Amino acid sequence: MDFPQNMSMEEAFALAEAEAKLKQVLKESTVRFENAVIPNRLNEDWRFGRPHKHAVALAELLQSDTPSQGEATVQHAGDAAVPVTSEDDDLRQTEMLMPTIGSDALLGMHLKRFGSGYALYIEEDTKEPILLTYKTDTLYTPSTFIMLAPGVKAHVIEQHYGNEKGTIFATRNIQVAEGAELKVELQPYGCARCMVITNIQNMGGKVVHYTHHFACDWAREETVAEIYTPGADNQLFSANNLICNQVLDQHTRQIHHVGGATSNLLYKNVVDDTATGIFAGNIYVAPCAHNTDAYQSNRNMLLSEKATIHSLPGLEILADKVRCSHGSASAPMDEEQLFYLLSRGIPRDEALALVSHGFLQDVVDKFERS
Amino acid sequence: MSLIIKDLSARVKDGAQILNGINLEIPKGEVHAIMGPNGSGKSTLSKVLCGHPDYEVTGGSAELDGQDLLAMSVDERSRAGLFLAFQYPVEVPGVTNANFMRAALQARMPKGETVDAVDFYKTMRNKMAALGMDTKFTARAVNEGFSGGEKKRNDILQMMMLEPSYAILDETDSGLDVDALRIVSDGVNAMRAPFRSFLVITHYKRLLDYIKPDVVHVLYKGRIVRTAGYEMVEHIEKNGFDFLKSEE
Repeated sequence: MDFPQNMSMEEAFALAEAEAKLKQVLKESTVRFENAVIPNRLNEDWRFGRPHKHAVALAELLQSDTPSQGEATVQHAGDAAVPVTSEDDDLRQTEMLMPTIGSDALLGMHLKRFGSGYALYIEEDTKEPILLTYKTDTLYTPSTFIMLAPGVKAHVIEQHYGNEKGTIFATRNIQVAEGAELKVELQPYGCARCMVITNIQNMGGKVVHYTHHFACDWAREETVAEIYTPGADNQLFSANNLICNQVLDQHTRQIHHVGGATSNLLYKNVVDDTATGIFAGNIYVAPCAHNTDAYQSNRNMLLSEKATIHSLPGLEILADKVRCSHGSASAPMDEEQLFYLLSRGIPRDEALALVSHGFLQDVVDKFERS
Repeated sequence: MSLIIKDLSARVKDGAQILNGINLEIPKGEVHAIMGPNGSGKSTLSKVLCGHPDYEVTGGSAELDGQDLLAMSVDERSRAGLFLAFQYPVEVPGVTNANFMRAALQARMPKGETVDAVDFYKTMRNKMAALGMDTKFTARAVNEGFSGGEKKRNDILQMMMLEPSYAILDETDSGLDVDALRIVSDGVNAMRAPFRSFLVITHYKRLLDYIKPDVVHVLYKGRIVRTAGYEMVEHIEKNGFDFLKSEE
């Protein structure tokens, strides 16, 4: 290992220790991916959402000769955007260390195809949202890295476009420094299959994260939002309208490694026809993370007797002096609300759309206000 | 042209019979009041006329300007000219008052035509001013977080915007303070016209002091048992409903 000439002995030891730790973790990661199994129903994190059909098909596609092909564009980023290449070992290592929620095997397959997407090194406030777009009509496995410098305010919108044959499997690493504020939106549209693994590492800033899935046949979203510094604030929002036979399988972990920080989650779905929504969330508060303030809420409106919701909120609190709670409610549309609109002459279809849209609007409003 | 109700009977779906043969005719231009003790069926009558799904008509008929009201869906009844100001207006989160009202007015437009946005907001603001409502309410979700009085005013605002031919006011006075009661009543009185009727449901004389009815009906055990003039209001205020015991 080469040390800079002006480095003190203590700094040199610390750097050497960090390097050794990284090597060890990377070695463990190799074992982690080798031992991982393709998701099935026996895996608690894949209990619902038809993994035998969708996850297996995704794994087969990733293991096949089908190349990762897609179009990546970025707008309004200035010098901040750098294309990800397969030679970038630092970014590859970052992806290797990503936590998943039951998808180590799939992440291992993603790593084998590493080398597309964008890294955003944002050092100045954004005047308009940076728009990142990934498109494919076959298979595309981009990686997104967002690094926000201290005190910087930024807004990033990531859109995934596919068609009835398009599969997008994306990873997203988000690192926010102290005092920085990031608004980030994820909007997958129209893919046959869409999988997104997100890791947020908050070092004392504010992250407001919003996802809106639209017309994807199957979507799996894993979001691990970690807090490493007191004062950090993670806000996670999602609003989705599921129709036909769509499946949206969302898993979240709000991890508080340190105390004195806040995280808040609000996920809402309107589920119609034979669609299925799954929410499995967990708030983890480490033993030392006192004075944590964390909340998690999942609300669902069912518009059809054949629509399905599986809601599994959870708490794992190992510290004292915390304020943590969770809530979940799934119910059909309120008949009195519907009657109220009908009684004003609004046709039934439009009344249904207004009430269900209104149900989700609350999330959009909260995201915009945050 | 009238709202004509003949032998109307209805019950709660899979439950108790509430209305037992209501007969009522409300010609255009008149204000009728319905009074009656708790549980006599006043609110049920209003909901049955509007087609609330919790109730099932078990007999009789209701005609609105010659059209079979009971054969229409809830929204069709409204577009045909019937309006109900609710006893407990419902909160509709995420749907702004402006969008709600625009959708209701759009539903009344001829095919291919749309509500003019400038005219719409101008009209809505003017009507809100008449009711003493802050224009900020246009951007707020329907009745969400409103006080009881604000909800009632909002219902009257909707009535003023939709300009129905027949308006049923179900205990509009409940939850209103004296000033709000006067403002709301002024709004209703301003709408009185030869081409419009009102059916005012209330327990109390105070509302009918502001909105003077032409005819007063007394509902008891699901039937109209008395029909009289304003003197009936005075009588009930003084003596209560004890005189109805002879109807048992």
